[in-house]
Amino acid sequence: MRNLSDQEIIDSVRKGNESDYSIIINRYKNKAFSMLKRMLKNEFDAEEVLQDCFLKAYNSLNSFKGEAKFSTWFYRIVYNSALTKLSSQKRKIETEMTSVEDHFDLESNYNADEIEKKDINELVHKIINKLPEKYSAIITMFYLNEMSIEEISEVMQITVSNVKVMLHRSRNSLRDLVLNSRLAEELI
Amino acid sequence: MIQITDEILNKYLDGELSREEAEQVKSGLSTSEELQKKYNALKLIHEKLFDMKEDEVSPAFTDKIMNQIVSRKFAIPKQQKYFIVSIATFITLLCLVIFGFVISAIISSAPSSIGESKSVLDSVSNLTDGLVTTLKHLFSGSGLSIIGSIFSLLIIISGYFFFEMQKRAKANLSNGQHL
Repeated sequence: MRNLSDQEIIDSVRKGNESDYSIIINRYKNKAFSMLKRMLKNEFDAEEVLQDCFLKAYNSLNSFKGEAKFSTWFYRIVYNSALTKLSSQKRKIETEMTSVEDHFDLESNYNADEIEKKDINELVHKIINKLPEKYSAIITMFYLNEMSIEEISEVMQITVSNVKVMLHRSRNSLRDLVLNSRLAEELI
Repeated sequence: MIQITDEILNKYLDGELSREEAEQVKSGLSTSEELQKKYNALKLIHEKLFDMKEDEVSPAFTDKIMNQIVSRKFAIPKQQKYFIVSIATFITLLCLVIFGFVISAIISSAPSSIGESKSVLDSVSNLTDGLVTTLKHLFSGSGLSIIGSIFSLLIIISGYFFFEMQKRAKANLSNGQHL
């Protein structure tokens, strides 16, 4: 049962085998949670929003036509729910263009001593949590969920080139942070 | 010769450059130590990001959602609950009014000596006679038309609520399809 495709599971749920939906939940819960946690910067909110996302997806399964991949459709629900949550928290939500033009300074969030004490894996993990919401969403979808740039652009409803710009900018910021630390001498 | 910027390095890393451009970047990297260092750091970050671990939700997460799905399936919708409660209230009030009317009619038609000089059996018999007389009066002539009117009103109100419920259910269905 666990090797079934998303579409086959959805068809089974639609036929009335609602317990099969738990396979979909188990398949996506941790990946979607990782994305939400990095976007919302809060574990409790992330789990609460994710719960709503799975219920929303379940209630809308009949409207899922299967034209896009289920994962793309589902991550779109997750991404939009995160933005809604952030806007309800009255946090700044950038428009597509302003987010691309936006600059963020990761180095100001970390001092040299703190960087030197950490190993590279821990450092990367911590820094991603400091990225602005949309950037951390892209990093998570690209590296953790292994989604293509085209799928990410579909989820975020922005152009492919904007996704690339944001991805490159995130990588460059992480790289600069590593280059300016003593870790660079040991690792590179 | 292309200028090797951060953007070009990222594209080189992602394999998005043409063969000619890639060759130029490769030779640029072999001649510039600074550029090589930048590229190596970028590559390191790229690899470390692929090693990123998933965060885990709480252990009961899946069960929690499945329970909600099952409980929602069997739960009476809010709109339907209001409908049932309002109809039940209306019927209860109607019964109380009819019951009150019957009791007052019995009491007014019964002889004043009840409970004073006659036996309990006579009192029960008087009450039964009174009840039969009142019901006969209620379901004949003008009484019947009053009861008919009340039930018609009840049917109209029920129909209205049922129509509203159907309308909302249709609206909810079409909202879900837009997601």
